[in-house]
Amino acid sequence: MPSASDTRTADTGAAAAHAGRRDPRGVVPTIVKAVALVLLAAAIVAFPSVAANPFILSVGVVIMSYAVLATGWNFMGGFTGYMSLGHAAYAGLGGYSTALLIVKAELNPWVALALGALITAVIAVPVGIASLRVRGASFVIVSIAFVLILLLVFQSWGGFTGGSNGLRIPRPFGPEVLRPEQHERFFYIHAALLAVALLLWWLIDRSRFGIGLKAIREDEDKAQALGVPTFQYKLVAFVLSAFFTALGGGVYALWFGFLDPVFQFSILIGSYMVLMSLLGGIRSLFGPALGALIVGYAVEFFKSEYGDTQFHLVATGLLLGIVVLFMPDGIIPGVTGLLRRFRPQASSIREVTQAELAEQRAGGAHTGTDSSGGDSTGGATRAPDPQVTEGVHP
Amino acid sequence: MSLLLQSLVLGVLLGGLYALLAAGLTLYFGVMRVVMIAHSAFLILAAYLAWFWTTETGIDPMVSLLWTVPLFFVTGVLIQRLLISRLRPATLTMMSVLLTFAVALVIEGTLGFVFTGTQRRVQLPYGGADISIGGVNIAVVKLIAFGLAAASLLALYLLLTRTKFGQALRATIQHPEAARLVGINTERTAGYGFGLGLATAAIGGTALSLDSTIYPSLHWHWIGPLMAIIVVGGLGSIPGAAIAAMVLGVGQSLLQIPLGTTWAQTFFYIALFATLMIRPQGFFGGRLAQRF
Repeated sequence: MPSASDTRTADTGAAAAHAGRRDPRGVVPTIVKAVALVLLAAAIVAFPSVAANPFILSVGVVIMSYAVLATGWNFMGGFTGYMSLGHAAYAGLGGYSTALLIVKAELNPWVALALGALITAVIAVPVGIASLRVRGASFVIVSIAFVLILLLVFQSWGGFTGGSNGLRIPRPFGPEVLRPEQHERFFYIHAALLAVALLLWWLIDRSRFGIGLKAIREDEDKAQALGVPTFQYKLVAFVLSAFFTALGGGVYALWFGFLDPVFQFSILIGSYMVLMSLLGGIRSLFGPALGALIVGYAVEFFKSEYGDTQFHLVATGLLLGIVVLFMPDGIIPGVTGLLRRFRPQASSIREVTQAELAEQRAGGAHTGTDSSGGDSTGGATRAPDPQVTEGVHP
Repeated sequence: MSLLLQSLVLGVLLGGLYALLAAGLTLYFGVMRVVMIAHSAFLILAAYLAWFWTTETGIDPMVSLLWTVPLFFVTGVLIQRLLISRLRPATLTMMSVLLTFAVALVIEGTLGFVFTGTQRRVQLPYGGADISIGGVNIAVVKLIAFGLAAASLLALYLLLTRTKFGQALRATIQHPEAARLVGINTERTAGYGFGLGLATAAIGGTALSLDSTIYPSLHWHWIGPLMAIIVVGGLGSIPGAAIAAMVLGVGQSLLQIPLGTTWAQTFFYIALFATLMIRPQGFFGGRLAQRF
């Protein structure tokens, strides 16, 4: 995710002036990032063996599950900017279709998992066609409505789904696998799923398809005018997002072994996904996973400390409000923006949001023709608000 | 036949309350392009305040309107001033949804924390009374709730069409820049518009407390239908919202006969998806609505 914008240059004059400085920026961070990635992977692999007790391990599984769901959400929310508050619908559908395929059709759990996610993706196609016809707020409304419909259907259709009594799912591993062992295996399954999702996100991020999606995020009308097939792109991203969310929901269902419509089709779970992604940074590869770590840990901490009171709703709401108001770009862009201040300024064309562009234009009025974003005095004068520098794609 | 008529009347009575609340949602959308997810949370908050007022003082819940309406109006102005107007214009619509969603969570959590999740109901001396007209039985409380909603809608209509403030508000909704050019303080007007929207939640909540059992998470059952109503009616059109509210309210009430209460609720969502497929901008809104 780092290099795509590093190699692009603004205008040749500025590029030549900064060429010497940019070189180390290209190589050293790549090594640093590779090392960090290996360390991260090692930490994840080692976690089950250093976890103090099965409870800690189970918290780890929950956080991993959140990370998968948030990363799945980010295929839609991050690339296209269409923030669905109802993605719990796909996690729930994935969980329920996996469970029903095991219970009713007596399929192998892993076949059921894959098939369940595929079924969910197929269901997501008509929902996507309907809801992607509208933008912004209407899209969010439809996403919430879809969760509420599913909650209603799964609660009322007791004969098939188990209704409010819930649905018990047999364990995929035999009785000889004890609970801590079970947690460990599911931790690794979730981690593998997360790795696949991250890899795909990274690939899309670098592809023409990804650039089209990001163009939709910044200005859908202009993207369409430039020939991006916006509707098809959005639909593919939507279905892909539903597919990964469903896989996450399915694996979670296999691990947890019990489904209840109230918890599966809960708006709260959907809002967790949004909160995690926004907190970490929706434009960053690891943003949603980082957000999942923070929010997931906080949620589990609140639950164990204060019990299952309504207080966690207040905490979630306050946190979401603070993130939306003060750091809508998330932690990762914020921190990288902060680090960038201590580095030599680059003058390449980077991804800039519409808002920043407008501010740059306003700020650029008194800096004359110098249009090289970052290091102009226009940039310095609009710097007091740290958010302004965050939108730059890492 | 009388069952059909009964459902029809109940549907109209319910539709009136929906219409008032949907009008509030439309006001927020009109002045700020904001979809206020917390609207129904404030509705339940007002219902709780009315219930609390009656259990503590023994005075009729409708008297609580005297202080909840001003309180909610001021809260609305403050929300617009302190929260919504801080968001970046480029991402305002999307972020405001998340922000008001956060407000809804905080309200729900606080209600659960303070009043616990127990179901509550206002005890009224006339709670069980009903009137029978032409074979149709109507609970008095439902009639009062409808009267309250209808009177408020009428007042809102008169305010918007007959007063100078109403003109300024409508101008702000139609074209903020032009409104500024003719000397309207659109910032302040938008704040008052927000306050008016929240005041409808106060009235609706009091009306709701008269005849239903309330609990903190009830607002999710209201926000879905309300959102469906404003999309079907066309975002930003108050008459559209009112008509859609009536049609959908009556439709839900009639469908309860063959389908039962639970499945009848899906009517709103089916109407929502049908609208998106046939006419995404809604049946009364302009082309503009599609973009938000």
